[in-house]
Amino acid sequence: MNEQTKAAPEIRRKGGGYLGQAWLILVLALLFGSGLAAVQMALEPIIARNKLSETLLQIPNLVPGSETGEQERVNGQLVFRALDADGNLMGWVLPASGQGFADKIEMLVGLDAALETITGIYVLDQKETPGLGNRIAEAGWRDQFRGKPTSKPLELSSAESSIPHHVEALTGATISSESVKDIVNGAVASLKEALAKASGS
Amino acid sequence: METIGSLILIAIGAALINNFVLHYFVGICPFIGVSRRVDMAFGMGCAVTFVISIAAFLSWTFTYFILRAGAPVTSWIWHVLRPDSELVPDLSILNYIVYIFVIASSVQLVEMYVRKFFPALYKSFGVFLPLITTNCAILFACLEIMKHVSGASDPSQVWGLDKALVLAIFGGLGFTLAIVMMAGIREELDQCDVPKALRGPAITLITAGILALAFLGFSGVDRGLAALFQ
Amino acid sequence: MVNDQPTALERFINGILPENPTYRQLLGMCPTLAVTNGMQSAMTMAGATAFVLICANIVVSLIRNLLKPHLRILVYTLTIATFVTIADRVLAAYMYDMSKQLGPYIPLIIVNCIIVCRCEVCASSQAVHIAAADAVGQSLGFTLALASIATVREVLGAGTWFGIAVMPAGFPNWVLMVLPPGAFITLGLLLGLVNWLTALWTQGRKAKPTAA
Repeated sequence: MNEQTKAAPEIRRKGGGYLGQAWLILVLALLFGSGLAAVQMALEPIIARNKLSETLLQIPNLVPGSETGEQERVNGQLVFRALDADGNLMGWVLPASGQGFADKIEMLVGLDAALETITGIYVLDQKETPGLGNRIAEAGWRDQFRGKPTSKPLELSSAESSIPHHVEALTGATISSESVKDIVNGAVASLKEALAKASGS
Repeated sequence: METIGSLILIAIGAALINNFVLHYFVGICPFIGVSRRVDMAFGMGCAVTFVISIAAFLSWTFTYFILRAGAPVTSWIWHVLRPDSELVPDLSILNYIVYIFVIASSVQLVEMYVRKFFPALYKSFGVFLPLITTNCAILFACLEIMKHVSGASDPSQVWGLDKALVLAIFGGLGFTLAIVMMAGIREELDQCDVPKALRGPAITLITAGILALAFLGFSGVDRGLAALFQ
Repeated sequence: MVNDQPTALERFINGILPENPTYRQLLGMCPTLAVTNGMQSAMTMAGATAFVLICANIVVSLIRNLLKPHLRILVYTLTIATFVTIADRVLAAYMYDMSKQLGPYIPLIIVNCIIVCRCEVCASSQAVHIAAADAVGQSLGFTLALASIATVREVLGAGTWFGIAVMPAGFPNWVLMVLPPGAFITLGLLLGLVNWLTALWTQGRKAKPTAA
């Protein structure tokens, strides 16, 4: 390592021999630069498509009846319109994130077109405790959000409950469950606000 | 309140909950190599914190103004060169190369500066400086900052310089905390009768595992704090 | 010095066990600990590291006669960073889930000491085929080390191997093993085991001639 750290000032001191000293690095930089540019040109569209399809593939599961999605910004908020085969608006899918137990949880929240019911949620990325908190990503638990009304913020309950806006917390993972509930509530509220502002202006 | 709150959360997250060494496993080499004596460990920790802050400042500046998609300086140059182009220039493929050179040159600059102006300080931790270039903790801090600057999905979520610096400084302090604790334990371990096969790095790693277990107790703290700030 | 240098075959075999990068040289600890909570991520990491190591060793070996002593580490860094960027993009394009899961640990290959060490020790002084053999050997050794740690952690921590259930039903998963502390403890114990076996082996070799 010492050698590298001494390299820079030495070049400067020699001045005249600069090219003689550094031509190899310049040639390599040029070669590698063009190599990277080629990689970028070839792979960038695939990577961009991966990122987008991560969300688009989930849209039919999150909003019943929809087939594709369309990315859009409503009042600065990134949302996806869930469309059926004829291009009719079936609902909304909203990327949302928040602090979980261990790290950030990234989710998608699906809502019907009138924003009255939650039609599904999906966990894109989480690093919760394996075996406990990471069960938030399992379909069995996520499915209970389906059909919940958005008139009131959701609340957690410790046992199964018939109250419409209650969801059952995971045993041993109350904090992870609470994080998901908060993310969903926040997403619903922010989409409602953004759409209200957009239609108002 | 909200900004200060989020800064405090980042600080606690970087230093304790997601401690660089004990949660993300970066900077293991010095953690095992330079943790025999407390004073050396402390010197190493200070040197890392110092360099990490400078590297974070530089890499944030480069990422924010030049490298990310639609960065101001690059966009302006592109606009001057090709006024009619609709393309948004994105240099993020150069990120890693730029970071590693930023780190190498900031280590070099810090070493020269400290040697010239603070000879006493140089004596105490100058010897660790060249080693730091290959310390993954520094590159990791740059990558975390990159994730929040060029990887942010929403323009409102792009990290400012304040958050980047808080992450770097507290990440460095967390590293110092972990390595000093480790050194303290190892000084005591020298007196113990460790099975022959486990002597050296093996017992150090097992001790680190127990330390990591203790640090696991911090998870979830930030959520409680976040609720407090809202 | 030149005459003493190991041949391609020696380099190749050395990398696998006698100079195993993880267990014998204690290099590249960060990925060893971070990505071994499952076989899939461990093997992806091993593949990416092998790609970078082999390419970097070959390139450095090709230009070894042009290297200026004080600029050589700069050249290594430039080469390694370039190949890491390529590996990172290829993973993002074709194994998107994996690349998301490995996150910052792919770019952290740049500061993986194994690669700089091999460029310095072998590639900068020996011919291309020897450098390539060395890189393949070291990569295999690294893969072996990652696989051993990941096997212990995944089987005990999640009851699976490569995502396939191997433990009998009702096996209580030791969640700790897939969490950070499990990484440290597993590597510590395995390191102890390797040390113990090596000691036994060298003892056995010493004992033999006297017995004979």
